[in-house]
Amino acid sequence: MKITKFFALAAFAAFSSSSVAQAADPFVVGIIAPTTGPLTTVGVRQLSAVQWWEKTTNAAGGIAGRQIQVVHCNDEGSPEKSVACVRDLIAKGSVILLNASVTGPIRAAMPLVQNGPVMVTPSPNVVPSANSYVFQTSPSDVDLTMAIAIYLKASKVDHLAMLAATDASGEVGVASAATVFPAQGIKYELARIDLRANDASIQLANTVKPEVKAVYSNYSGGGAAAVVKSYSNLGLTQPLIVSYANVSDAFINVIKNDMPKRLLGSGLKAVAPQMLDDASRRKHVEDFMASYKEMTKDNVDMLTLLGLTLADTADAVLKNVKNPSDPAAVRTYLETTPIPSVQMLHWSKDRHVGMTADDISILEYKSGKWVKADPVQ
Amino acid sequence: MNPLTQSLISGTMSGAVYALLAIGIVLAFHTSRVVNLAHGESFAIGGLVAAVLADAGMPVYVYAPAAICASILFLLTVERFLLRPRRTWPVGSLILVTLAAAFLTRGVLQLTMGVDPLSFPRMFVGAPFRIAGGVLPPQGLVLIVVGLAAAVAVTLFLLFTPLGHKLRAVAENPDTAELLGVNVDRARSLAFGIAGGLGGLSAVLLVPLVSVDYQAGLGMTLRGFIAAALGGMAPSMAILAGLALGLSEALVTNYAGALAQDPIVFLALIGVAVWQSRKIVFGGTGRA
Repeated sequence: MKITKFFALAAFAAFSSSSVAQAADPFVVGIIAPTTGPLTTVGVRQLSAVQWWEKTTNAAGGIAGRQIQVVHCNDEGSPEKSVACVRDLIAKGSVILLNASVTGPIRAAMPLVQNGPVMVTPSPNVVPSANSYVFQTSPSDVDLTMAIAIYLKASKVDHLAMLAATDASGEVGVASAATVFPAQGIKYELARIDLRANDASIQLANTVKPEVKAVYSNYSGGGAAAVVKSYSNLGLTQPLIVSYANVSDAFINVIKNDMPKRLLGSGLKAVAPQMLDDASRRKHVEDFMASYKEMTKDNVDMLTLLGLTLADTADAVLKNVKNPSDPAAVRTYLETTPIPSVQMLHWSKDRHVGMTADDISILEYKSGKWVKADPVQ
Repeated sequence: MNPLTQSLISGTMSGAVYALLAIGIVLAFHTSRVVNLAHGESFAIGGLVAAVLADAGMPVYVYAPAAICASILFLLTVERFLLRPRRTWPVGSLILVTLAAAFLTRGVLQLTMGVDPLSFPRMFVGAPFRIAGGVLPPQGLVLIVVGLAAAVAVTLFLLFTPLGHKLRAVAENPDTAELLGVNVDRARSLAFGIAGGLGGLSAVLLVPLVSVDYQAGLGMTLRGFIAAALGGMAPSMAILAGLALGLSEALVTNYAGALAQDPIVFLALIGVAVWQSRKIVFGGTGRA
């Protein structure tokens, strides 16, 4: 009897201590973001939003009594390093992976999560298969291109000049343009530009013909400034449309002395929260903008909002999935439950892309902020 | 617009910058026998210092000289504190030291200046010049004129002034030069200082037309080194090689597209390197 009692007590003690340890263990959330290299701006902005979520959540007591531990791995925008990052973050026990890198590195990492954990990315250039564990929080690049085409068509613009980078993101942009613009009756002149180039005047000279009514730069990262600077050097006057990732203060800061007559961008409506019809989404974005600015002294831009879509997804998973370490359970949850973020993210068993063309607006930079764009005159 | 004319204009602008950078690399090489892989950092430092000071509201007559001084100070520091104390080391090790200095500088710039690209207003504004279907902004014209003039001036200084002769003597044989009364340390400092000045000048002229960030240095070192190598590490040839490199990059982009730019330019570099290797002497016999 005594022996039985001893074992019972020992078992209880062991169980209790394990429960206490488990309760104290933080949720590990891995994030891959380039924080050095040519895509630094893309990674730093998104990482910063996810770290804001980590700090505010932990300060509020964590989730289900457990703290959040965001573990960052810098892939430098390189596919090889991205693969090493994913392996490392899985080994560290990440229950969910957030991939804030760009097309090439994200694609390189995808085969590593074919059996989980769930990986979430905001890159519009990545369209994950519906039977994968990868979820995308943006509209697809085709959706973004479609939004531009619809805007141009409404403005009676039928001839466009387009510059695309020579990297994997540029390839996606070129493919989307070939799918969308001809189908919408828009003729386009295309030139490619090296990601590290500091001059785009030759590409512009080759594409901006007299009949061209607008210029579209499908080019992410700070290097896109080369396009705007060259555009200004050539004295061009057509409206310039920049890509999704360049709707940011950092980008405006570098081109502020060479501002085109009209600077447009394809972006989420949340960039200008007054455009959001859903009051709860508007409040979420405005609260984030205020809190983020207070914490970082920095303004929220498109990239920060994309980072918030990652954080909101992780937050929803950790709060609502009973066992977040079970990739199948996380996938089922994401496929069946809309996630409230900067805008609603709707995934399904057939589609792992969270937004559509309806979530995008063509924005214009006016009087120091992004607002809904007026038609091209 | 005429794409060919625009290519020639853009290529000349890039070429003027490559020439300035190449002259700086050649100058340092000729006095220390070291290919200074931190040379492009003088461009990054100059551009970032000018951008930060301009953003703080400083006038151009303050931020432009301050940027050039910062670049000079940087290369003087590399020479005085990294290379001079290790002058007995093999040249290969010293080149690695300059590479380490480049990466260290990149890290320091990232921490102090941030990760975003920066720029500053053009110093020369006005309507662009339209030449045969091409467009040249006033700042671009100044870049070409001042850049090439500075590169030529440094070359003439080396070839025709007593101080230039001393620098070249240090390059030929530092021990003999020292015996003849040339202060080798001072000569090397002077060469690195001039190289830094050229790096800073190229940043002040170019960055208003483009942008600069903490990682711009190595790319600039690479372009400057290619131009210097194409010119056989000779100052006068480096100017022509810089221009040729800029023009060839622009023409390749125009006719073959940006995707072909690197393969064609590096293929040309390999071709020139193979051609120049014919002059390398093995056991007293020229290798043909």
